[in-house]
Amino acid sequence: MDPQTMTSVQTRTSLGHGIDISSMERSQIPTRIEDESIAIEVDKLDLYYGEKRALNSVSMKIPHKKVTAFIGPSGCGKSTLLRCFNRMNDLVDGCRVEGGLRLDGKNIYDRDVDIAMLRRRVGMVFQKANPFPKSIYENVAYGLRLAGINKKRVIDETVEWALKGAALWDEVKDRLDDSALGLSGGQQQRLVIARAIAIHPDVILLDEPCSALDPISTLKVEELITELKSNYTIVIVTHNMQQAARVSDYTAFMYVGDLIEFGNTDQLFTKPSKKQTEDYITGRYG
Amino acid sequence: MATAQEEIAAAMPKTLVSQGTEGVHAYIKSGAPYVWVTAAAISMAFIITLSLLILTASRGLPHFWPADLVQGSYQEPGNTAEPLLVEIRSAEEVTTARLQSAGVKIDDSKPLHDRILVKVANRDLLGADFRYLLSDWFTARTSPEDATVFERVEWGNFHGFLVGLVEDGKSVASGADTWAAFNKSIARADELRGKLHDIEKGRIRSINYAIERVRLDERRLQLQGHTRENAAADYAALDVRRKEQEALYEGLRGELDSIKKELARDSLVVKTVDGTEVKLPLAKVLEAYRPNQMNVIVKIGFFFKKIWEFVSEDPREANTEGGIFPAIFGTVMMVLLMSVVVMPFGVLAALYLREYAKQGFVTQAIRIAVNNLAGVPSIVYGMFGLGFFVYFVGANIDRAFYAESLPSPTFGTPGILWSSLTLALLTLPVVIVATEEGLARIPRSLREASLALGATKAETLWRVVLPMASPAMMTGLILAIARAAGEVAPLMLVGVVKLAPSLPLDGDAPFLHLERKFMHLGFHIYDVGFQSPNVEAARPLVYATAFLLVLVILALNLSAISIRNRLRERYKALEG
Amino acid sequence: MNTTGYKSHISSQFNAELEDVRQRVLAMGGLVEQQLIDATKALMDLDTELAEQVFRTDDKVDQLEIYIDEECSRILARRQPTASDLRLVHAVIKTITDLERIGDESHKIAKMAHELSTQERMYENMVETQHLSRQVSQMVRGALDAFARMDADAAVAVVREDVVVDREYEALLRQCITYMMEEPRTIGRVIDLIWAVRAIERIGDHAKNIAEYVIYFVKGKDVRHTPLEQVEREVRGE
Repeated sequence: MDPQTMTSVQTRTSLGHGIDISSMERSQIPTRIEDESIAIEVDKLDLYYGEKRALNSVSMKIPHKKVTAFIGPSGCGKSTLLRCFNRMNDLVDGCRVEGGLRLDGKNIYDRDVDIAMLRRRVGMVFQKANPFPKSIYENVAYGLRLAGINKKRVIDETVEWALKGAALWDEVKDRLDDSALGLSGGQQQRLVIARAIAIHPDVILLDEPCSALDPISTLKVEELITELKSNYTIVIVTHNMQQAARVSDYTAFMYVGDLIEFGNTDQLFTKPSKKQTEDYITGRYG
Repeated sequence: MATAQEEIAAAMPKTLVSQGTEGVHAYIKSGAPYVWVTAAAISMAFIITLSLLILTASRGLPHFWPADLVQGSYQEPGNTAEPLLVEIRSAEEVTTARLQSAGVKIDDSKPLHDRILVKVANRDLLGADFRYLLSDWFTARTSPEDATVFERVEWGNFHGFLVGLVEDGKSVASGADTWAAFNKSIARADELRGKLHDIEKGRIRSINYAIERVRLDERRLQLQGHTRENAAADYAALDVRRKEQEALYEGLRGELDSIKKELARDSLVVKTVDGTEVKLPLAKVLEAYRPNQMNVIVKIGFFFKKIWEFVSEDPREANTEGGIFPAIFGTVMMVLLMSVVVMPFGVLAALYLREYAKQGFVTQAIRIAVNNLAGVPSIVYGMFGLGFFVYFVGANIDRAFYAESLPSPTFGTPGILWSSLTLALLTLPVVIVATEEGLARIPRSLREASLALGATKAETLWRVVLPMASPAMMTGLILAIARAAGEVAPLMLVGVVKLAPSLPLDGDAPFLHLERKFMHLGFHIYDVGFQSPNVEAARPLVYATAFLLVLVILALNLSAISIRNRLRERYKALEG
Repeated sequence: MNTTGYKSHISSQFNAELEDVRQRVLAMGGLVEQQLIDATKALMDLDTELAEQVFRTDDKVDQLEIYIDEECSRILARRQPTASDLRLVHAVIKTITDLERIGDESHKIAKMAHELSTQERMYENMVETQHLSRQVSQMVRGALDAFARMDADAAVAVVREDVVVDREYEALLRQCITYMMEEPRTIGRVIDLIWAVRAIERIGDHAKNIAEYVIYFVKGKDVRHTPLEQVEREVRGE
C-alpha cells in the first residue's frame, strides 16, 4: 500500500465536508468551441480532384492548442481536408481548392503565400513513419538546416529539446549518430514528431500516425500528443474511433466529403446529435 | 447435382499424408526440375566466364616464362643437318597428308607427326623468329648451361653463347670471366640508358614543348596583326624565351652526345649455335639471361619481373615487344573522363524526365527514344563523333582558340576528349534509365516528409532524393563503364592510335592534354593481333593484353561496385 | 492481480481520470458517513438542526453521484477500459449507487428524528439503537477503507460484520415488539423508531454490497449471494 493512498484514507472524512461542489459543476459542463480561441478557420472549403468533388463546402473552426480529431469511414475526405491545412494537396495533379482556409486570419490559398513558410508553421506527421535515411541527429536537424540555421550549438540544443519533447531523448541520446532506420516503428514515429516540432510550428497535423504501430507504441504516441497540446494546435486524422476518443478534445465526423458533426469529444462519443454519427461510432454504419 | 461448394469440399484433401509421390507429373510438381534448370543456367554463365579468364591467362602468361633453350641438330631428308638453339613454344600433331601438301618431303610410314613451334630468334641473321620443326628430325637435343638469351632494343631476341667483351675496340674479357664482366657493364649501360631516357623523355621534351609554345605565341601575335615593328617588346620577349630554351637544349645536347658515346663504348662478342661470331653493341642489348641455369624459384621471380615490365613499359618493335603501359593508361583515363561527362548529363536528364517533366505522351516518347539509343550500333556513334565532335565542334574550337597552330589541327582531329564524349553519348541511355529507375523507387513518403518540413522541390531533390538515388546512379555508371571499356570500334574513328607519342596526362602545363590521341587496350589487341608483321610473336601478347583488359574492366567495375555498396548500406531499408 | 496499478498507464490522462473518480468516490463516502453519524446523533438527541444538516448534505451527495456517473460513462466511452480498469469503473458505478442509498437511508433516519422530536421523548431502546448505528457506521467506514486501499481482506471483514449486525437488528426488533405489547400507547413512537432501525440495518447491507464490489474489483470474483465461508475461501484464493 503506497503512502499516497494512506493519506487519502486519513483525509477522507475532512474531504467530505470540504469538497467544493461548485468546481465540480464547472468541469462538468463540456467545453464548447464557441469558447475557444481559433487557430484555423475553414470557410466553405470545396476540393475537387479533376471533376470529382472530394470536399463539400466544409466549414469548421479548429481551436487553438487543443487536439482536434477527424474521424470517418475510408474515403470520407478526412485526410484530404487535413492535407489542405499545409497545402500538401498541391502535389496532386488536378487538385483544385475553392473557399477559404485561414490561419491566423490569413487565407493560406492566397497567391502571396509562400508554401515553404506555411509548411514551416504547419508541421505534418504521416501515416507511415518516414525518417530520412540519415542519422537520428540529422533527421531532427533537417528542418533547421532548411531554415538556414547552421550554428552547431543552436542545432545541438534544439535536437535535444525536440527529442525530449517527443519523449525519445532517453532512448536515443547515446546513439544520435546512428541511422534513424535502426529505430523501432514507434520510435521512428516519435522521431518524426521530434523532427516536426524542432522547427517550432504553430500547428501539427497528424495523418493516422499510429496506424502502423503496435498498441503500446500507439499509447506512447497518444500520450505524447496529449503532452504536446499545451504548446501546439494539433489536428489528427484517425480511422480508429477509440483513438480519437482517447486523445482529442474535439472531434469532427466526416462522411463522403461532408462534415456531419463537429463538437466536443465527450459529447460526440456519449450523445452525438446526428444519427449518422451515432451509427458510425456505434458500428451500425453501412 | 452437387453445388459448387460441395464439389470443392469433395476435392479438398481429408488427410495430411502426402499422396501420389511418384511419376513425372509429381516430379514436375515438386519443383525440383526448376531448381536444376536455374542452377544449370547460372553454372553455364559462371563456367563460360571462368573459361574466358583461364583461356586468356593460359595462352598469354606463358610468354613471360623463361623457357629453356634447347640445342639440337635439325635435318630434313636430303638436306644437311643444321644446328639450332631454340625455345620450344608449342607442339601439335599434324597428319602426314597435310605436311606433304605443305611441301614437306615425308613418307607415309606414320599417319601423324609431331610438329613443334620453336623460337629461333636472331631475326637479323635468320630472317624469322619462329620456325615449325618436325619433332622427329630435331635430334641430339641438349640444354647447354651457358646458352644465353639476349634481349635487344631492335630485331628481337638473340640466342647464342657469350664469348667475349670488347671495350673501345679492345677485348677486356673472354672465356669464363665474360659473364661477370658483362653483368657489370650492362649495369653501367642500364644507368646510362636511364639518364638518356630522362633527358630525352623529360627535359628535352619539355624544351620542345616550350619552343612550340613560343612559336604558337609568335604566330598568334602575327594573326592579331602585330608586326615586329609595332610590337617590338612582345617579340623581344618571345625571342628571349626562345633563346633561353635553345641554350638549354644545346647544353642538353652536349650531355646527350657524351652519354651516347659512353654507351657505345662496349660491345659483346657472341657466338651463334652454328659457330658464327657476332658483335653486339651493348647499347642495343637490354638484358641477357641464361634460362638453363635458372631453378624454378629464380624463374618465377623472372616471370613476375617480365609481367611487371609488360604492364609498366612502353611498347617497342611495332608493339610486338616491350610493354603496354600507355594502352592501360589510355583506357583507364578515357573511361574516367567518360564517367565524369556521362554522370552529370545522365543524372540531370533523368531528373528532368522523372521529376520535372509533365508525365504524358511526349515524355513517354522521349523515354522510348532514349532506351532505343542504347541499341544503336557503336560504330554509328563513332561516325557521329567524327562528323560532329571532330569535324564540326573541334574545327570550330580550333578556329576560335587555336588559330595560331592551323593548319595543323589541335581539337579538330581525333583525340581523347572526343573519344570520351562519344562514349559518354553511347552510354548515356544506360545512365538515364538506371537513374530514372532509382528515382522512381524513392518512396513518395520521404519526399512528402521533406516538403512538409518546408523544403522546396529543389531542396528535396538535392537533400533527400538524389542521395538516396545514388546507388542506382552508381549502377548506371557500372553498366556504362562495362560497356565503354570494351568498346573499340567507335574509338578507331575518334581518337585511338596504334602508337601515341605521349600520354594525355604529363608534367607540362596544363597537365591534362585532352586533344591528344591515346592508346587503348582493345585497339591494341586488334592492332597486335591483326596488323602485326610478326604473327607468332604477337599471339601470346594478344592473349596477355586481352587478359589485362578484362582485369582492368574488372578493377574499374569493382571500384564502382564497392562505392555503390557503401552508398546502399547508408541508404538501405528504403522498402518495407 | 495488479490493483494499485491503475496509476501506471502510459496515458497520464487516464491515470488522472481514474484517480479523480476514486477520490470523488471517497469524498462521497466521507459525506454519507458523516450523514449517517449526524442522523444517528439527531435521532438520539432529537436534534432538528442536525437533521436539517443531513437533508442539505443529501443534495451534495446526489450531485456527486451524477458527476461520478458521468465521469464513468465518459471514461467508458473514451478509454474503453479493460480488465482491472473495467472492474474499477464497474465497481465505482455500483458503489456510488449504494452510497447514494446510504445517503437516502440517513435521510430517512433524520426524518424520523424530526418526527420523534415533536413527540414525547422516549428512552427505551435508544442505547441499543445507538450501538447498532455505531456498528453500521463502522461497517461503512470499513467498506470505504477497503475501497481506498483496494483491500479484499478488509472487505471480507465488513461482510462478516453484516451477519452480526443482522442478528443485533433482529434482537432489537424483538425488543421493540415486546415493548409495544407491554405498553401499547407507545406503539406510534416505537414504529417510528423501527423505521429508523430498519434504515440503519439497510445501510449495513449497502456497506456489505460495497465491500463485495471491492472484492470483485480486487479479486475479479463476484461474491454476491454467496455464503460467507465461501467468500472467505475465495478471498484467500482457494
